[in-house]
Amino acid sequence: MPDIEELLKAMHDEVVSFNEEGVREATAAFNAAEYDPLRGILDGLAAGMNTVGRLFKDQEYFVPEVLLCAEAMNAGVELLKPRMRGAEVKSEGTVVLGTVQGDVHDIGKNLVKMMLEVGGFTVHDLGANVPHERFVEEVLRTDADLVGISAMMTTTMMGMKTVIPMIKAGKPGVGVLVGGAPVTHQIAAMFKADGYTQSAADIVAEAKRVMAATRRAAPACCCQR
Amino acid sequence: MRPKERFLRRLSGQDVDMTPVGCTTAYGAVALMRACGCERPLADTDPAAMAGLALAGHTVAGFEWVKAMGWDITAVSQALGCELGAPQIDLQYFIAGHPFEQRSIDELDCPDDLLSRGRFPAYREQFRILKEKVGDELAIFGMSEGPFTCAANLMGTSNMMRATLKDPKTVEKALEVTTAALARVIDFAFDCGADYYCMADPSSGSDLLSPRSWQKFVFPAMKRLAEAAKGPLVLHICGNTDKIIPMMCDAGVAGISIEEKADLKTAIEVAHAKGVRVFGNVSAASTLFMGTPQECRAEATAALAAGVDFLAPGCGLAPNSPLPNILELRKARDAYFKAQ
Repeated sequence: MPDIEELLKAMHDEVVSFNEEGVREATAAFNAAEYDPLRGILDGLAAGMNTVGRLFKDQEYFVPEVLLCAEAMNAGVELLKPRMRGAEVKSEGTVVLGTVQGDVHDIGKNLVKMMLEVGGFTVHDLGANVPHERFVEEVLRTDADLVGISAMMTTTMMGMKTVIPMIKAGKPGVGVLVGGAPVTHQIAAMFKADGYTQSAADIVAEAKRVMAATRRAAPACCCQR
Repeated sequence: MRPKERFLRRLSGQDVDMTPVGCTTAYGAVALMRACGCERPLADTDPAAMAGLALAGHTVAGFEWVKAMGWDITAVSQALGCELGAPQIDLQYFIAGHPFEQRSIDELDCPDDLLSRGRFPAYREQFRILKEKVGDELAIFGMSEGPFTCAANLMGTSNMMRATLKDPKTVEKALEVTTAALARVIDFAFDCGADYYCMADPSSGSDLLSPRSWQKFVFPAMKRLAEAAKGPLVLHICGNTDKIIPMMCDAGVAGISIEEKADLKTAIEVAHAKGVRVFGNVSAASTLFMGTPQECRAEATAALAAGVDFLAPGCGLAPNSPLPNILELRKARDAYFKAQ
């Protein structure tokens, strides 16, 4: 039987080299050996995607590489999924994600989605050009911990200023993260967002930071007074 | 020195009395539209309104050169088949559909009637009006998207990105057609009297594409366009362009236009060593749009002190940029050279 560490490394490496066929072969061998599928996802495929995130941050990889690596990873996940039934996977948190109303750009938002999923978050992706009310509805429907809003244009970016108070009024205590080409730390602060990253590569750490901060700031329940 | 002479001398590397100030990207700001009475949607389609807004850049904002060919970077993509989203007074035309997202790129070609399509007939008339009104006094430039952005608009940006690694022949085919189309559009602008032509190619910037792929796909297209052009070209790319600035300069353009995310001082050193001029780089989003007039003045003065050749916004003016902020570009330039 092939060694589990060798197979995990192969799955990791094939994701990093965006070799979809290689990922399928390594994952099929992992399945044939009946190793724990959750380990295959976390320590093989997602670990590979974490390496990709680091390479993206270091500007060794760019958007084309990241898109292909994510597709290679997903090919492996599809093979492991049937053996995952019943397995308990703890989610890091629930995130509602979308590009702001009037803005059709979605590449950055899609990269953020991949990174969050790899980081263990449950993501509800509303797509691009999302009406303000949809963010609020989805936050309430999913009882989300976080909302991620993207904008690519200075014009549409102003929609963030409108939608953030709507989301906060709908669910006080939810954390809001913003990002996109024209958005900066200063603008995020001005719009009263709770978090911001310049690069999709940093989104998981920022999401965890905001979740911890918003939990600390959450008002105590009345019976604890 | 008259503004046109100052502009053209600076662009060709000759001495001038002071740094020209203006905008080499789009300046379709609502404040300028309201000041001159030429608002969208007419300012996007009607030659007289387009010319009126172009001139407001000079008469209202104090810019020393003016722009023809609209206020967005979608015209060539539109003429090649892209569907556009409807503009509003504070929203420029945008790409709403990618005709070759599902279809084979082999079906893409550059139509014979390219320059009769879309807004090009209106642009021709806009050039005529501008030449008649300010042609002796001010430099006039034409502008559009660059070949990579145009190809990404046609194929869908994600598809284009994947294809750079997995299907380079498709990228080359798309670029062959968009470069041929751009060559004709650039010829059109110079035939209409443009003094220079600016290509904005944001989809090829390093926020998306690697410098390796830029060298492989974008550089040959730019070089081909620069060699064929009847006049000087300026290449604008958004974001942090530090790693591709040497290649941008080597492509044969007369100028590059960069954002505040790039290192202006290094860009100037690199560009000047290659005989290329630098436009920029006051932040269009966080300063001219969201900042105070004082912040605009400070950033413009810093760009002048760094030795920028043309003081300009780092990217297209956001439509809702406040007029007092925009005015600080000209005021900063005047104050800087008065103090010298």
